[in-house]
Amino acid sequence: MRVKSVLILTGLFLAAGLSASPAHAQYAKAGAKPAAVEREDFLPEPMPSGFQVIVNEVEGAVFADAAGRTLYKWPLKGLRNGDVGDRKNAPSNCNNEVYTENSGLQSPWPAGLKLPDAAVRKSCQELWPAVLAGGDAAPVGKWAIIARRDGTKQWAYDGYPLYISVLDKQPGDVIGGSNRRSRGDSPGVREPVGPNPNIPPAFAISQVASGRMLVNYAGYSVYAWDGDGPEKSNCTADCLVTWSPVLAAETSQPQGDWSIIQRSPGIRQWVFRKKPLYTYIADTRPRSLTGSDEPGWHNVYTQHAPAVPAEFTQQETHAGVVLADARGKTIYVYTCGDDALDQQACDHPASPQEYRILVCGGNDAARCLKTWPPVAAAKGAKAPSRAWTAIDIDPLTGRYAAAGQPGALHVWAYRGRPVYTFSSENPGDVDGDAWGEFYGARNGFKAFWLRDDFYTNAG
Amino acid sequence: MKQNLARAFSVCALGATLAVGGAASADDTIVNNVRDRSIAYAVSGGHWGIYQTGDGKAECPDGLNDVGPRETFKMLFPDDGTKRSVVDTQLAREAAIWAPEDKEYKFPYHLAGGKVGLGLNLDGKVGPNDFTTPDGEKGIDNQLFRAMGCLRWLRGPDGIGYHFSDLYMKQFNYNRALIELTNVDSLADDPDVDVTIYRGLDSLMADATGAKTMPGGTQRIDAKFGQKFITHLKGKIVAGVLTTEPVKEMYWPFAWFGGNPGAQHILDMRMKLKLTQEAANGFIGGYENLEEWYYGLARGRSTHHLAYGSVSAPGVYQAIHKLADAYPDASGKNTAISMAWGTDLTQVFIQRRPQEVAAAPASAPSKSEPAGGRH
Repeated sequence: MRVKSVLILTGLFLAAGLSASPAHAQYAKAGAKPAAVEREDFLPEPMPSGFQVIVNEVEGAVFADAAGRTLYKWPLKGLRNGDVGDRKNAPSNCNNEVYTENSGLQSPWPAGLKLPDAAVRKSCQELWPAVLAGGDAAPVGKWAIIARRDGTKQWAYDGYPLYISVLDKQPGDVIGGSNRRSRGDSPGVREPVGPNPNIPPAFAISQVASGRMLVNYAGYSVYAWDGDGPEKSNCTADCLVTWSPVLAAETSQPQGDWSIIQRSPGIRQWVFRKKPLYTYIADTRPRSLTGSDEPGWHNVYTQHAPAVPAEFTQQETHAGVVLADARGKTIYVYTCGDDALDQQACDHPASPQEYRILVCGGNDAARCLKTWPPVAAAKGAKAPSRAWTAIDIDPLTGRYAAAGQPGALHVWAYRGRPVYTFSSENPGDVDGDAWGEFYGARNGFKAFWLRDDFYTNAG
Repeated sequence: MKQNLARAFSVCALGATLAVGGAASADDTIVNNVRDRSIAYAVSGGHWGIYQTGDGKAECPDGLNDVGPRETFKMLFPDDGTKRSVVDTQLAREAAIWAPEDKEYKFPYHLAGGKVGLGLNLDGKVGPNDFTTPDGEKGIDNQLFRAMGCLRWLRGPDGIGYHFSDLYMKQFNYNRALIELTNVDSLADDPDVDVTIYRGLDSLMADATGAKTMPGGTQRIDAKFGQKFITHLKGKIVAGVLTTEPVKEMYWPFAWFGGNPGAQHILDMRMKLKLTQEAANGFIGGYENLEEWYYGLARGRSTHHLAYGSVSAPGVYQAIHKLADAYPDASGKNTAISMAWGTDLTQVFIQRRPQEVAAAPASAPSKSEPAGGRH
């Protein structure tokens, strides 16, 4: 190991951790409300010089370069008619070729059609610059050096070539991609790369809408109880009919935020941040939030989701809970990836808007604006977290508005992308969910699910 | 022979003994799943009410539809060397789905014809566009069949839409509608029963192969997110067939596809189900709002999946608007279409949590039952 630096993005991140919004706090029942700093711990590992670890409010610990730019990988993904992305231990497929036609990867439409931004389209390499290795760079730990096809050397982590995103503007931004689970027909997304979280092998972290949630080795949620004391379980007798202590092996040792209590001689139970952990007997599916419906019981997070705008609400629907605006209207996220081999995004104000305008308004921008209006932010609205920001967009083009542009819309954006409502809805409706190509996974709208008791929409 | 007769008598006697509370079996089993004058069933299959003959010629005299997204694309944009754009082709075809036009459809689209159809008589009349069931009931209102009946996608047993609709009714608990009958004196004949629809929370009990749903499973009621689905109806049982009175509207949990939770919003909804101790089968009928139903289809099945069955969503849109037969708007244009949804249900026992017991629709004691006789 040569040099390693670790940066915890305090400031906004801490604000998010300390002041989980009412909307999030309720659905996640953050009785697990962070008393002080709530951030995910990670396991240190050897890194080359010039890199650092930043704890992001959504993604947890991620690697960044010296300038704080998050590092991403682009793992291979199978689409309907072919694969995109990088293969492990192979050279990058993100190069300087500028695609002007689609690749026919998504059935049923053919290849060879001119892309909307063909005249100005950039190469993959321009949007996802490779993290280049200097001449004296040497492999360290999981870090290796892979030759690019142009002869330059690129850093790779765990076998995957590394990139930065031009969408990340501030140190610690993770706008380019996410580790949230994506549906089968979603674009070939980029994923931030980071060190392993500091958790015992019997656990895992599942990145869901309500935060980075602790689950057991099989993916089932773990819970904590208000009735327990610090490092003391009061769950006995009848309580054990419903709740099963998460037992630690005889050889398990405390680490970081984790400790172990002895329930009875030889029976050891895992404890996270002084809270004994349990699984819920009635959980029938992984990543469940249903145990938190029991009074006093809560899912457990290494860090909760970042704070949302203060006026936002949450609404119960017929499948779970969604994030909603001040009127109770469901908030929707628009997702889009184009059909070229380099899978460029088309869901950001800096990207082509033709895809969105065609599915939300039949190529009529005014109709689109009426049917799927962006969620307005008050003038001077303060960003509650790094993930939620207020931006100015042109109402018809959907692109960033010029400074001082008359008629520009001041709207809320999640991870840099405007969020929307579906105009015909009442509170609790999700009639716009799955609107667009491939159920809204590829060019369309998905409700901002905070909890989904039936499917995986919330993660 | 004597032994066989004796056995038959003893079986009858046992059956009578088990028919506590006056409930009699509508079939010939000795099982009695009517407990405390109640019985419940859970959805274990479903399909649209589409009448089919072997070769399809009777109901689809013009043939089955074979012009779907791929075919229309080729007709509009032949492979003649012309350079085209994503916006003018692919996205234009997607726009036709998400912002469809209510004007004459210019591609071939075959409607179902003939006189035979499945479903219910919704308006109590026999009209010129109504169907007659295979067993002779007239006045069947099911214009959705006329619109969709010649899509091979929805024709069983091998149409992809048919197959997956049925599978998803079994597979996804989101779709687990429950029907509970209370105040039941007999599954064969009872002039006054109460029917409550809920959504259940649990998987079905299957046989050892996993393919067949078994009666006798348990279901919890979804009291948290399933409120929208709770509906009460009055009904009667005649010769083992439950017929309910209509309710103004109801929502039936219906995810066309995994991950896309939806609902059939049925107006003037009623049901007609053949009941046994172990199963209930029949139709839910009513009217579906055109826009809600269409966008449920579009959101529930991607263009890719519709293409497998040569289903043109814009063609469907215009067909249902053409055939709409109810709920006229101020201009006199109908906004809803008659429909029938075939549903298969398997007997279950509802397992209520303590706090739900008090709120449950209790059956009154049977007239033949002594006071305090319910247990």
